[in-house]
Amino acid sequence: MKQVLRVAFDLLLEARRRRWFLALFVGITLVLVVLGFSLELEVVDGALAGSKLFGSLLFDDIVSADRVLSGVYLGAAYAAFYGGAFFLAVACSDFAPELLAPGRIELLLSLPIARWQLLFGTYLGVLVITALGIAYGAAGLSVLLGVKTGLWSATLLLGSFVGLAGFAAIYAVMVCVTFFVRSAAVSGAAGVITLVLGVLASYRESLMTLMEPGFGRTLFSWVMLPMPRLGTLATVSARIAAEQALEPEVVTRMLMGTGVFTFALLAVAAWRFERMDL
Amino acid sequence: MTVALTATGLTKTYRTLFGGSRPALRGLTLTVPRGVSFGLIGPNGAGKTTFIKVLLGVVRPTGGDVSVLGGQPDDLNVRARIGYLPERMHLPAALRALDFLRSIATLKSLSPTDAELRRSLERVGLATDSQRIGTFSKGMRQRLGLAAAMLGAPDLLILDEPTDGIDPVGRVEVRKLLLEEKARGATLLLNSHLLSETERVCDRIGVLHDGTLKLEGSLDDVRRVTTRWQVKFAPGADASVLEAAGFVGGLFEGDVDELNAALDEVRAKGLKLVSLSPDSKDLEQVLTDVMGGSAS
Repeated sequence: MKQVLRVAFDLLLEARRRRWFLALFVGITLVLVVLGFSLELEVVDGALAGSKLFGSLLFDDIVSADRVLSGVYLGAAYAAFYGGAFFLAVACSDFAPELLAPGRIELLLSLPIARWQLLFGTYLGVLVITALGIAYGAAGLSVLLGVKTGLWSATLLLGSFVGLAGFAAIYAVMVCVTFFVRSAAVSGAAGVITLVLGVLASYRESLMTLMEPGFGRTLFSWVMLPMPRLGTLATVSARIAAEQALEPEVVTRMLMGTGVFTFALLAVAAWRFERMDL
Repeated sequence: MTVALTATGLTKTYRTLFGGSRPALRGLTLTVPRGVSFGLIGPNGAGKTTFIKVLLGVVRPTGGDVSVLGGQPDDLNVRARIGYLPERMHLPAALRALDFLRSIATLKSLSPTDAELRRSLERVGLATDSQRIGTFSKGMRQRLGLAAAMLGAPDLLILDEPTDGIDPVGRVEVRKLLLEEKARGATLLLNSHLLSETERVCDRIGVLHDGTLKLEGSLDDVRRVTTRWQVKFAPGADASVLEAAGFVGGLFEGDVDELNAALDEVRAKGLKLVSLSPDSKDLEQVLTDVMGGSAS
């Protein structure tokens, strides 16, 4: 386990020096700073009055602060899920292919590290980067809104971390694909395609009713069957952030399904890696 | 004799995309004793890199047995005692030399201080730690790779083209480092196309061609020519007598029996032998001869 953590830490060190991740953290910081200076929120008796963004009134009426924050958190959670998944699918697309690059993989495998440790360490490292991004963005926004409104909530952070499971599944596909085709472009494309298919899988039943019965519909149902319901997971994440009612069984089932998908993909990747001549 | 590595009947056949096969090693058998510096030479495609990859567990052999430092290449305890410099180093461009070395040390379960890591860099002639690896020249990358390979004083150093891209002065420094490592007791396995470098560093040589070991032995043995001899006679020897017996320009071409017959002949005429030694050739000639022999 120590070696897995060491590989993950190593990846964090490398990511720290990359422009993509500097851009991610600078981008989040900029959004928070701009919001911090341009957003004026006044809460009077639990209601927002005279709230301004860049000097313009946000609402003509007096609205409940809870409702507004809930809406903001809902939007932020959706944005973090889809925007984050897309950005990270592109930004992290070359980690696994780089790992297998000729001249690097031989060096890594000559060290006292097992192949599975390299694979899981790399995977864990990317998830930690993602988690740090989420923690920074979600916690930053929560603190900002908390300071401005006096209403403190950790639901955005919690909802975003549930959403992390979605990226975990996407990145498992990206890693797995790399062990069959070593290409950052293919890995990134696989991530984006998984995101799209995962959203479609959430609406599988309703989409199938629009299709004519036959081969196409059967193929669609088979392709969708193993896919994690990423659209539903995004909704779950957003609803947690917005403190909307959810059935715990739905959340558990969603997370377990995504977990099984993720582990299955990682198992295939590990199986392939163990048998590879490099 | 303690053994650093052994390969017995090692075969490796790569499968091609359309079901074909390409043999890279064809029953390679080799033993390298501990503490020696072993030079692996051979033409491109001879199977040298494949053999090294098998030793590191990067490539799985199709058949045969291999043992490294008394264990299997997959054994992590064995790998902890190996330092490796790949032929084509692919280093993380975003990192600095010190970061990279620290990362390798961590993965080797070592915990050197920054001062120790800096000394490792200085040892290979890399004083800079402000530049990113992406801006390094080929020679600097090679030096960094060498520093990484030597971290933790490994028992076995496997170096694939260690002086590739390094200038002539740097090569002398690298050679000195390798000899220091050997003096420390490390076993060196050197794969280099620079035969003069191999000749200067290695005390044993293996010639690999077409996936098999064609020749193996001490440097002196493989360079020795058994049918050509360097002879020196006492001053005043009659050149015409020597030439008539086959001694031309201080050399004699022939096997041991022919040599002794010729010596008897000139000694009977009063000439005195001062020194006799088998003639030797350089590794380039050794390699050419082996490949020529294989071709015919």
